[in-house]
Amino acid sequence: MLTVLLCTIFLSDTVTTEKVQSLDEVVIVSETGRGRKRSVKGQVASIDEHLSELKNVSLVRRGSYAWEPVVNNMQTERLSTTIDGMKIFYACTDKMDPVTSYVESGNLQSISLNSGLDGNPQATGNIGGSLDLKLRKVGFDNDPFHTSLSVGHEWNGHLQVYGADAALSSHRTYLNVGAFYRHADNYKVGGGEELQFSQFQKVNVFTNAGLRLAKKDMLEATLIFDRATDVGYPALNMDVAKAEGLITSLSYKHLFPKASWETKVYYNHITHEMDDTKRPDVAIHMDMPGDSWTAGIYSLLMTALKQHDLSLNYDLYYNRLFADMTMYPGGAAPMYMVTWPDVGTLNTGVALTDNISIFRNQSLRLSAKVAWQHQKLNNEEGYHALKVFFPGMTDAYHQTTARFAANYQFSILNSQFSIGTGWGSRAPTVTEAYGYYLNNTFDQYDYIGNPSLKNESAVELNGTAKFSTLNSQLSIEGNVFLFSNYIIGHFETRLSPMTVDAEGVKVYGNISHATIANVSLSWNWQITEHLQWNKKVSYSSGRDADGDPLPLISPISWQSEWIYQYQRFQAQATIKGNARQSNYGEKYGETAAKAWTIMNLSAQYQFKVQSSKFIVRAGVENLFDKQYATYADWNHIPQKGRNIYLNLTLTL
Amino acid sequence: MKKVKGLFLILYVVALTACNSNDDGVQAGIEIPGITITDDADCCSAEEALNTYNFLQTVQLVPELTTEIDGKYNVYVYTKTGGFHTGYNDIYFVSTKKETGNYIKDLTVTSNSPLMYMSKMNMYHSTPVSDKSRIVNYDYLAVKRVWVSFLMNTSENGSWTYSYEVDVLGKTGGMEKKDIVVSALPDGQVWLKSFKVGDDTFFLSLVNPTDWKTGTNNIKAYVSKKSNPITTPYALATETFTVDIDPRMPDMGNHTSPNNTPLIKQEDGSYQGSINLTMTGRWRIHLTVKDAQGNVVAGGDDLSDGFSSLFWEVTI
Repeated sequence: MLTVLLCTIFLSDTVTTEKVQSLDEVVIVSETGRGRKRSVKGQVASIDEHLSELKNVSLVRRGSYAWEPVVNNMQTERLSTTIDGMKIFYACTDKMDPVTSYVESGNLQSISLNSGLDGNPQATGNIGGSLDLKLRKVGFDNDPFHTSLSVGHEWNGHLQVYGADAALSSHRTYLNVGAFYRHADNYKVGGGEELQFSQFQKVNVFTNAGLRLAKKDMLEATLIFDRATDVGYPALNMDVAKAEGLITSLSYKHLFPKASWETKVYYNHITHEMDDTKRPDVAIHMDMPGDSWTAGIYSLLMTALKQHDLSLNYDLYYNRLFADMTMYPGGAAPMYMVTWPDVGTLNTGVALTDNISIFRNQSLRLSAKVAWQHQKLNNEEGYHALKVFFPGMTDAYHQTTARFAANYQFSILNSQFSIGTGWGSRAPTVTEAYGYYLNNTFDQYDYIGNPSLKNESAVELNGTAKFSTLNSQLSIEGNVFLFSNYIIGHFETRLSPMTVDAEGVKVYGNISHATIANVSLSWNWQITEHLQWNKKVSYSSGRDADGDPLPLISPISWQSEWIYQYQRFQAQATIKGNARQSNYGEKYGETAAKAWTIMNLSAQYQFKVQSSKFIVRAGVENLFDKQYATYADWNHIPQKGRNIYLNLTLTL
Repeated sequence: MKKVKGLFLILYVVALTACNSNDDGVQAGIEIPGITITDDADCCSAEEALNTYNFLQTVQLVPELTTEIDGKYNVYVYTKTGGFHTGYNDIYFVSTKKETGNYIKDLTVTSNSPLMYMSKMNMYHSTPVSDKSRIVNYDYLAVKRVWVSFLMNTSENGSWTYSYEVDVLGKTGGMEKKDIVVSALPDGQVWLKSFKVGDDTFFLSLVNPTDWKTGTNNIKAYVSKKSNPITTPYALATETFTVDIDPRMPDMGNHTSPNNTPLIKQEDGSYQGSINLTMTGRWRIHLTVKDAQGNVVAGGDDLSDGFSSLFWEVTI
């Protein structure tokens, strides 16, 4: 069902699927057949590496840490990211901290992605897609005690990963606890040169707990504390001294005979502090802290009625974003500006999703959401500063957004087809509407938000066709997004940049229309019982109203992998690459990425010693030590050179 | 803990405002330290006196300029800091009746005369001043304001004296050549500049940079003309100019702001426009002075950095 739209990767080695019998939580099952997608590095892989396994996802990389997910060639502003349905917003005006960086692989059970306008119930503003990071919960009535340890080492950059977690479960209670630590030095790019400022360090602790109040009533609580320090961003002019996230929630669940009802309240706070004190040749030292607070509630009712699988969700959140900047020119007075004027956003929405089975071989999925939001600029200084550029602006705005998606699927013989359509809109982000002189190192422009932006909207069309024979499967997937009022930075030559050496100023504006299209072709061939060969090639295109290429659109990418599996041993060889980026957003300051090809090898073996289960994984990435950078590597910072890794997971 | 404190604070404020709202109904007698309110028509009513008193809390007395007239009235002089600095200074005059301490409404400043002695050259000169005294605000009629824009600070090169004359209820009094100290402004603050047109020297005094914040600000200035003889205080220029402003941040690669409007002469003789400041820090306001016909008469030249050599400097 709907595997085309929803794909899930599983992070945990022991996939603790909650028992489906009571609709407690329905895990969205992804790829049919052999195994769900997971990173070859297993649980030790970073969130970013897990994300890169998802279909239609690529990652913008500004360093070795905190990559920004891109879905269907759309970045954060056109995506929704939630953690178990909770809204969370990044706190860095330079996007150094996508919210996925405030969790750790060990916190999660899976990451699910809904491509396009068909979002998860809590998602708003998701034109490109919605990611939901599903937290790891052992659940009631599971194994009474369970613990696992993982250790990993990567030679390139001396990345060390240590993790330990334990789970307790009974009929009345359950508890997950875990602690994780990652540390990396600068890595070496292909050819052996060290990339300065590519280090990072992170600690993370989490707990999930459940208490059954009555037979059908339960409470669940989550606490995650995540702290990254000394994070280098080689693609930017600054690093990060500290990025800290506190994520908390409390939810109440009630089970009906054929339905479940969950209400969750949550609060999270992110603190982000940039740091340029370790950089040589800093013209002007700057302090740039940012803060994001979000509190919210959602209430989700899920039910199965005859051929309908319905879910109804109400959500409300309040988010505050504040960021400022103090510059210290040698000797003279410090210069201060508010870059995010303490914007309070109150957003509330209702979402309805229905999966309808029609006969045996057909299904229809409908989803819709309407949301309304109110924004207030709480910082006077920031408000008056923006007013210089927009004398007619006020300190409060409100927007209404909506999305609707329908997908029809049917199968005949060995073929599966689906077609889908949708329409959705999003409100401008705080950066787009109220950002103030935010320097973008991608095009070297200072960006000013525009409070008079119109909502951006898009019509989506998608389709897939899958043909299966006895031992192979061919699939073609495609989608196209036809945007109206596409939001992007516009040159504003009348304004003078703030950042020394910046090229100029851009102000966000709407362009009448734009198009993003993606198509991919994949072929999986089970050559023998033990050997599988998968191939995939994708092509994307993004055009603005003048027909010129949009920036950060993937060039042709391809991948070919051989997977050998024999009992508890698995080995994999992958060759992947990108063609030269021939359609790059020159107009938007992008320069073309070169073509590249790399090869990775990996192997894993599972064995048992008494009752303990071991999984050893080893591999080589970039076997031939090629120096390369993808189109999504900010300022073309090179990727890791040859990297050998070894990791071990032990489950007791 | 902080939150608990905050809660107490809220309760406290609620309690306080609750009391205040009870008091609102009763017009309790206004008490002002040192002042006895009588029915004296020369003086302020209780409300006017309170307003005046409150205003005077925002400025500082210049003790050396206090004097008395006829043994009946005191005259007090205030500035923002209790002293003087280079560039534009507002000077406030207040007169009280000795018996009651209450402020007298009928006060006029008839002379406002700073004078500098340049010891090395053994010469005297004055500096730009306001034409006449004005009331500061109709809420406190008893306060009269003049201004002086000091050309330079007191140093080994020269020293300042200040003379003034006031008229209080028909009686004249004042001070003659009282020594005052004019301090220099800190680095990053230059509020007075001069330019020449033919043989005439003009002075541009920036009035209100201390009020400025990030955002759009009113900018006010005066254009004064050097007197002949130069010991006479320099009055406002009768010529009409337009002054274009170009704010720049020298520490930020001469970053500027959009939509600034030029200084244009107003009916009261001041020049006003608007200035946009995109952040705090040091700003240079580069100036281009045009005459009534629109010809550039000063500034507007391009220095090596590409901006006018005539500029004020302000650090906010």
